[in-house]
Amino acid sequence: MTPLLEVDNLATGYGQSKVLRGVSFSVKPGEVACIMGRNGAGKTTLLRALMGVLAKTGSVRLAGEDITHWAGHRVNAAGMVWVPQEDSVFSGLTVRNHLTIAVHGRREEEEGLEAAGALFPVLGERLEQEAQTLSGGERKMLALAQALIVRPKVVLMDEPTEGVAPVVVEQLIPAIAASTKESAVVLVEQNIDTALALGQNAYLLEQGSIAVSGTVRDLHDRGVLEQRLAL
Amino acid sequence: MILGFLPVDSFNVIVLAAVFVLVATGLHFTFGMLNVVNLVHGELILIGAYTTLQVQRTTGNVLLGMALAPLAAGIVGVAMERGVLRFLYDRPLDSLLATFGLSVIIRQVVQFVFSPNPQIVRSPIGGSFLLGGFNIPWWRLIIVLVTSVLLVGVIQFLQRSRFGLHARATVANPLLAETMGINSGAMRAGLFALGSAIAGLAGAMLAPISTLNPQFGLLFLVNSFLVVIIGGKGSLRGLVVAGIVLGGTLAALQFVMSTVMAQILILAIAIIGVRVRPLLGLLREWRGRRPLGSAV
Repeated sequence: MTPLLEVDNLATGYGQSKVLRGVSFSVKPGEVACIMGRNGAGKTTLLRALMGVLAKTGSVRLAGEDITHWAGHRVNAAGMVWVPQEDSVFSGLTVRNHLTIAVHGRREEEEGLEAAGALFPVLGERLEQEAQTLSGGERKMLALAQALIVRPKVVLMDEPTEGVAPVVVEQLIPAIAASTKESAVVLVEQNIDTALALGQNAYLLEQGSIAVSGTVRDLHDRGVLEQRLAL
Repeated sequence: MILGFLPVDSFNVIVLAAVFVLVATGLHFTFGMLNVVNLVHGELILIGAYTTLQVQRTTGNVLLGMALAPLAAGIVGVAMERGVLRFLYDRPLDSLLATFGLSVIIRQVVQFVFSPNPQIVRSPIGGSFLLGGFNIPWWRLIIVLVTSVLLVGVIQFLQRSRFGLHARATVANPLLAETMGINSGAMRAGLFALGSAIAGLAGAMLAPISTLNPQFGLLFLVNSFLVVIIGGKGSLRGLVVAGIVLGGTLAALQFVMSTVMAQILILAIAIIGVRVRPLLGLLREWRGRRPLGSAV
């Protein structure tokens, strides 16, 4: 099966500070690739670079098309979406406004709102509420709904369950699994349980490069994840 | 004395309040929303006024000049944003310096082309009508009406249009907006063009009731900033209230003291307003209402 996302020899950073170098991996449809590593390893930086909001060298291909130097809005339009770890809502805008922006040009607004309500019923009940007044868990649901209701080719998720109550995590994981069966998912995750529940392959970032890769299950069984993440 | 104040003098209070709101509305976009300390705002007003003057000279049609004024100011505005200011959104001091430099350049170009001598733009609708035995100038009434229609239009546009929704998202979080498919660069350019065009319209509307010279725009710069800041940066409703309070108060004070003293008092009121407004914001938050400074 042809990969939906192909990353080859990617390097990026902030100004003179190089954060990532020589990062290569690919993700096929229906696959969840977990990017793991300690704090400061460059996981979020990798997602920013893939999403087109951080300059980079190397090559990024989305469904065969070279998107290495595309701006973020073009990357999004091409079918790659991002679920940020935090700072995921616009102040002053309602839940409906957020979902309207997400589905613009992809599907009918009402259809998108219904899909969001089906994914997370609480969002359907709070369409007119300002998103910044939602709880942390509901914000995560909104960020996920924005990404998943547009039937994306590639989903970039930055620790979607971090800081969320266990009862909410129980809702998020099945929703993510059900909505990404045909997408390629890049999941930045520190939580091994979440990685085991969702992921197939894992890539451990150390000092800006992929130090270890393999299946999540195998790396876990051999104790590599626990050792490398120092948990 | 009180009877003499009404209605013609009270109408002047309304006119000056409308002028304050009109000149500040363009700045709402460039400074209030985009966060650019836009010292070239006065020169965008100047461009609108001199465009009207030039078209009047060339074609004899003042109304055509007024229609072209927002276009000219909008084009200059978007050229400045794309050419210079878009690189400086994260560098406020540099953008302040850039807009100051651009304002000086535009003023000097206007002076070179049109001379520093006073110029007159004639009112497209002259004369006045009687109300309760007092003369109300038609053009001043039209300024009030245009300002009112403009405000309603701008509020509706920002609240109901797709551009307005995307603009508010871009202003709130440009990075997130970009990753959700909004071309944040184009959106910022659009907002700057819109703010510049409204400044140009203000210049065109105010030209017939003023004497034009290259310093014309500077007359409105300080008051525009006062209105936007006191109204709550980014809040159009606050801008309207601040414009009415400051403009109305200035007009009323001018009946009982010199213009200079009135302006000093207005600045004092503005300083008190800046000091008190955050306290009002805290009070409103304490009451559980929306905080001041929302986008519209």
